[in-house]
Amino acid sequence: MEHASFIIASYVLTFGSIAAYAAWVVRRGRAMARRATREEMPWT
Amino acid sequence: MTPTAAHATTGTPATRRLGAVVAVLLALLVMSGLWWSAEDVVQGSTVRIMYVHVPSIWVAYMAFALTAVCSGAYVSGRSRSVAWDRVAGASAEIGVLFVAVSLVTGSLWGRLTWGTYWVWDARLTSTAFLFITYVGYLAVRRLGGTLRQRARRSSVIALLAVLEIPLVHFSVELWRSLHQEASVANPNARVELDGLMLFTLMLGLATFTALFVWLLLHRQRVILLEDTVADRGLDEAIASRRDEAGAR
Amino acid sequence: MDLTPRTDGAGVPVRRRRRWAPMVVVALALVAGGVVVTKFLTSAIDYYCNVDEIGVRDGCDGDRRIRVQGIVRKDTLEKKDGTTAFTLEWNGKSIDVSYLGDPGGVFQECIPVVAHGRLDGAGFDSDRIEVKHTNEYQEKNKSRFDEANEEAAACSVSEG
Repeated sequence: MEHASFIIASYVLTFGSIAAYAAWVVRRGRAMARRATREEMPWT
Repeated sequence: MTPTAAHATTGTPATRRLGAVVAVLLALLVMSGLWWSAEDVVQGSTVRIMYVHVPSIWVAYMAFALTAVCSGAYVSGRSRSVAWDRVAGASAEIGVLFVAVSLVTGSLWGRLTWGTYWVWDARLTSTAFLFITYVGYLAVRRLGGTLRQRARRSSVIALLAVLEIPLVHFSVELWRSLHQEASVANPNARVELDGLMLFTLMLGLATFTALFVWLLLHRQRVILLEDTVADRGLDEAIASRRDEAGAR
Repeated sequence: MDLTPRTDGAGVPVRRRRRWAPMVVVALALVAGGVVVTKFLTSAIDYYCNVDEIGVRDGCDGDRRIRVQGIVRKDTLEKKDGTTAFTLEWNGKSIDVSYLGDPGGVFQECIPVVAHGRLDGAGFDSDRIEVKHTNEYQEKNKSRFDEANEEAAACSVSEG
């Protein structure tokens, strides 16, 4: 594949940044949920 | 009642199922984008960047539009529910992430096709301005004050900032630009992509939309918990002050 | 301090203390916004002319720096002694362009480009080339194109 480094870099940057953000959201959600009651989490 | 470890999460069976669907779609997108789809007759392999670049800006547009809709609902609703503001804030944050991805991937694509990473052209400049506007919006949300104050001031910004989206999208029509016209949502309604290229682009749009929904569901729940915990922190501080005053 | 019980949570402070980091970000965003707009406006000083507008449209004449848009005419591309020479055409008009160096990108015949520079007699002396591409995408090696026809296919994509 021509220009593979640019193409792979685009995919890695895209999915890497989204994965990092998703992981942060999930971790933050867990940390916050531990400090909340079940009544404060209407989705449970 | 404090939740058990199993419940101490923003996930539900529905979001977990959606997450699994998103994971499968992402795998298919990578396979189709990098291997199954053909090279372009002019751009060669470089066209593969389009399958992540275009869906990223699509999600950013959608996220900022949702932010405006929720802000409008907050401002115009009789109840003035801050739940609208939480969804608006979560959506804007995800939009900022995706517009950043779009700028970076577009820059890499530009280096290969145009011969330069960046030009101060109408589309690129207006997209950069859109990014900066929403970074400012997120900063304004964190300035402090009551939840209502936060909702009110961020709603005003969101309702003004959303006007940039048509400017960004139609900048290639309004000004002479190095950037090509939209591949799908163009005014001529002409889609000039060969079979599997079009399929891969549509798969990218569907995948990133599902990903956006998954992220939004989690992030707005996290914001609700952050607000609740901050609220309770203040209640506890007030109770502690009362106890101190009673003890004297 | 007002210790009256609240009726809902919306009126209580999220954070009572004034936070400096977001204020700095807001200030930086305002400055960055100004810089971006200024850069756009200063870069737009050079007139953006199509080949057929040279000498016709106001601003697209000899005594200033301009940007010229056109399609690289087939069989005119020559690279010699580090210089790239080619003919740009648009709406039946053409101009010879000379560029010191290799334009980069997907520069090739039959593709739209924007050349930055000055008119030099009947030709155009460029110091920067940006390659445009259309929103049309055709699969390479598709059955209707064999290798020999790909260049012609590129021309048909660019010329519409």
